[in-house]
Amino acid sequence: MNSLDPRVNRLPSVGQPGQAEPKAPLDQFGTFEVFVQPKEGKPFQHEGAVHAPNLEMAFVLAKEAFTRRFQCVSLYVADTRHVFVSPMTEGNITVFDFIHDTPEQPGAKLSYEIFMLSKRGKQHVHVGSVMARTPNEAMSEAKRELQTDKVVYNIWAIRTDDIRFTKPEEQELWMTLPEKKFRDASNYKGGDKLKEFLERSQS
Amino acid sequence: MNDLAIKELLYKMADDQLILGHRNSEWTGFGPLLEEDIAFSSMAQDKVGQSYALYTILHSLGEQEPDTVAFTRNAEQFHNSIFTELPNGEYDFSLIRHFLYDTAEIMRFDMLTESSFQPLAELAVKVRAELRYHTLHANTWVKQLGSATEESVARLQKSLEHALPYALGMFEESPYEKELIETGVFAGEKKLQEKWLVKISAIINETRLQLPDLSTLQPVSGGRIGKHSEHLQPLLNEMSEVFRIDPTAEW
Repeated sequence: MNSLDPRVNRLPSVGQPGQAEPKAPLDQFGTFEVFVQPKEGKPFQHEGAVHAPNLEMAFVLAKEAFTRRFQCVSLYVADTRHVFVSPMTEGNITVFDFIHDTPEQPGAKLSYEIFMLSKRGKQHVHVGSVMARTPNEAMSEAKRELQTDKVVYNIWAIRTDDIRFTKPEEQELWMTLPEKKFRDASNYKGGDKLKEFLERSQS
Repeated sequence: MNDLAIKELLYKMADDQLILGHRNSEWTGFGPLLEEDIAFSSMAQDKVGQSYALYTILHSLGEQEPDTVAFTRNAEQFHNSIFTELPNGEYDFSLIRHFLYDTAEIMRFDMLTESSFQPLAELAVKVRAELRYHTLHANTWVKQLGSATEESVARLQKSLEHALPYALGMFEESPYEKELIETGVFAGEKKLQEKWLVKISAIINETRLQLPDLSTLQPVSGGRIGKHSEHLQPLLNEMSEVFRIDPTAEW
């Protein structure tokens, strides 16, 4: 069967003889993590992921998938495979207990962006950047430079060069967003309309 | 300054945005992937919003309310280019139309930021900001699919060739062209078309697509003077259905 819907094309043929074959890979795009800065001066926070064929397309698709409502001044995206994740903790145990010094290694240091999760069920929030040779070293540098008294449950590190940032000339992409109140669910005033309709139909 | 000249300019721009906004909104729920469905629908909504802003300026010049103007005219009273009313067809055509149209639109509004007609110059700054995303979206997709597979390149090429004569109809000149230029309201369709050609050529040159020689093409015009294809009236009938049942309805 030939269809524009990939789910239809993935359906196995029925009643056909044949040899054992490796399972075909899914024809889905990979995922990219999306980080949004809601206001000037606020940190970027992780909002979710989009499917896309590459980093540039991910940036384009993330803009409407995650910032078509409310407020946004900037966003950036990174390939999910470029996000390095520390161990996870809970309760009063901080993830820094599991992060140890990395032995000195040769090679040039690169910039990594560091994101911390300090509330379970919330998002990872950008806390700063460190210079490191490996993701593991980025974690231990984050411990050394960015640790505070707060309990942190998980850390992400992404190489700065692997991120597609908003370019300065793209800042105006969100210029009219605060005016688009019609996209907020509260703006529909659905309850009021329903009440009015019921009153009208009963009278 | 002649109000008729400004009104003619505003009507054709507003009608383009409304009709293409409505057409593009027909993809809502049918986009090729969820993220694209959301993006394309959002941009369609932007276009309808931009038409509302333009109809509001027209209202301030003595024309009827935006809803009345949008929902009660017949096809021959619309000034949109025929290009904008064509059915969506497959996604490759919609994407190529989005690319050709939005490139022209961002340049039109960019030129209008310098307009001597102040309300339009102020609006143009905002619309240009929204169109910056629309063109980023269009250019990225065209670059992506214009260089991806044999099928994607062939389909985009076919759509490009089909779309171009209609796209040239966007630049149909106004009877007030000279006056608009002389009074500094708008620098004119010819100038816009020149800028547009430079930009679309630059993007197409980054792909495996071939831009046909535009001088060999016959522009499909007439839309600006109310001569439309058979596709516009059914679109208007559907778009105005709720309004015609209950003009006071809010939704």
